[in-house]
Amino acid sequence: MKVLTANRLSDGRVLYWGAQGLATEALAEALWLDDAEAERALASAAARPDLFVNPYLVEVNAGEPSGRDRFKEFIRSTGPTVGHSRPDIEGAA
Amino acid sequence: MYRYDEFDHALVSERIAEFTDQVRRRVDGRLTEDQFKPLRLMNGVYLQLHAYMLRVAVPYGTMNSAQLKKLGHIARVYDKGYGHFTTRTNIQYNWPALSDLPAILTELAEVEMHAIQTSGNCIRNVTTDVFAGATDEEIEDPRPWCEIIRQWSTIHPEFSFLPRKFKIAVIASETDRAAIRTHDVGLQIVRGENGETAFRVFVGGGQGRLPHIAQEIAPAVPGRELLAYLTAILRAYNLLGRRDNIHKARIKILVAALGIDAFREEVERQFETLRHEDLRIPDDELARIQAYFAPPPFETLPKHSGPFDRALLADPDFARWSRNNVRRHRAPGYASAIISLKPVGGVPGDMTADQMDVVAKLARRFSFDEVRAAYEQNLVLPHVKLDDLPEVWRTLHAHGLATANADLVTDVIACPGLDYCSLANARSIPVAQALSKRLADLDFQEKLGPIRVNMSGCINACGHHHVGHIGVLGVDRKGEEFYQITVGGSPDEQAALGEIVGKSLPAEDVAPAIERALNRYLAIRHEGERFIDTVRRTGAEPFREAIYEAA
Ligand code: SF4
Repeated sequence: MKVLTANRLSDGRVLYWGAQGLATEALAEALWLDDAEAERALASAAARPDLFVNPYLVEVNAGEPSGRDRFKEFIRSTGPTVGHSRPDIEGAA
Repeated sequence: MYRYDEFDHALVSERIAEFTDQVRRRVDGRLTEDQFKPLRLMNGVYLQLHAYMLRVAVPYGTMNSAQLKKLGHIARVYDKGYGHFTTRTNIQYNWPALSDLPAILTELAEVEMHAIQTSGNCIRNVTTDVFAGATDEEIEDPRPWCEIIRQWSTIHPEFSFLPRKFKIAVIASETDRAAIRTHDVGLQIVRGENGETAFRVFVGGGQGRLPHIAQEIAPAVPGRELLAYLTAILRAYNLLGRRDNIHKARIKILVAALGIDAFREEVERQFETLRHEDLRIPDDELARIQAYFAPPPFETLPKHSGPFDRALLADPDFARWSRNNVRRHRAPGYASAIISLKPVGGVPGDMTADQMDVVAKLARRFSFDEVRAAYEQNLVLPHVKLDDLPEVWRTLHAHGLATANADLVTDVIACPGLDYCSLANARSIPVAQALSKRLADLDFQEKLGPIRVNMSGCINACGHHHVGHIGVLGVDRKGEEFYQITVGGSPDEQAALGEIVGKSLPAEDVAPAIERALNRYLAIRHEGERFIDTVRRTGAEPFREAIYEAA
């Protein structure tokens, strides 16, 4: 199965194609699409350039990214895996 | 410090107005992403994995306190409260909204900063020795020349669509603290005929997929002819450089393909015409720009400072920081202080808005209002009285900015990698963090002495892994993160590319493998021999063995 993802025009945040064609920021809420649905979703997303920047399809297996770029897609779905060096967390000086 | 004149102000505000209109047209749909992308890139705006990213230029790494304070303000108001200093002495914001960009650029312009030419195939921000104007090793302050190059190259119509990006670095001492031989053009100020300023010119350096160390093309180009000579190089490159293959478009490929002698002939041919054109730098203009960089009014001080010496004896932590992070200054009684942005387990180069405020205040009070960004992703207070160092240190310490590891093994240079960068193959930050935690013991680090570890999340080499004494490159093996290790690279006047030691390692093996290599160094080094010198003496073999020894 596939999910459709893109970046949001206004702030670049990661978006997925969700139920009823609504965008969601949560991979867990993304619709799983078969090939025909995926093509239709791509066409629909391309028609919404006010929202979706660079829409493309990601292979998923049980809702987890599974294709060649699965790790990159995992990080896109969760955000950076590290915080920045804040003095209130470990290790300052 | 250089101050904008009316032309600079006009140029930046016109650009903001233009980009504001472009953002508006992007938001209302009149511009598509394909149309907008080259426009945003001309203004330092990328679209990364999770958000837009804005790269702001810090010209030749020099800032005043108002500028650093403004960078903190932008981090606080428009981002998530921090910024990331890069190996190009720029700062990147990872989370700005598209619609906030005009406001951010307007705020930056208030303190004479911008994001022009921080991306795209043009001449990028010129970098220099972080101790420019402070070190006793330099022939003269290289920054006026950086500023001249900045003015010449900004929106230069002939060089706005080069085959690829173009990076220039300038130094004024034999010791190379700006890695000039890894740049498209590296300039070293030397004494020419009659003692006049001249430039030893290197060309064709670069990292990335096909790394090259720059070669000398001219021993002493007279200062006044510098822009004519640079124009000749750029023109030769612009005409002859490849445009058919993005991986073969940098000047390093052209120089390697032609050979340095044939490339020199081509440059000389262009130079013959250009040197008679209107490219000579007028004396009064040079003097005007140099005046901006006149040394600050240093007090006449004794070489030694009682308060400093007493603090060294009283506080071992201060003594350690002074030993590792304080550098000699040209003026007696002064020093330059390196502010490490590499706390144990931290993100190399990251700095919070509050920390920026703190350093801005320190710069104003204790360093003639100057602070520098180093390509090693640290900051420097260039001109601090020895008397004031204890107080500066206490303030830094209270804000998590006094890690005493400058140039030591945990002073890791690392690119953002796959945590942020859309080009990445693997993460760099967590690997850097694991190493810095594993080697956190400062006694051990001091025993090891100066060692530079560099990490990049892909072959583009933003973390300069090719020239790290130890380099770590993230690669993608069937969707898994792996890391290739090199040893023996060096960015300085003895520039060299590291040697790949063998097959790549999984993330969790990197820090232990590096630790084994370091222990091997301790076992085989000669008395007083630095890590890089041991590698040069023995070759990579002993380290290869240690790295692949069963853990
Ligand atoms: S080296 Fe690669 S992963 Fe790292 S910042 Fe540069 S392009 Fe991104």
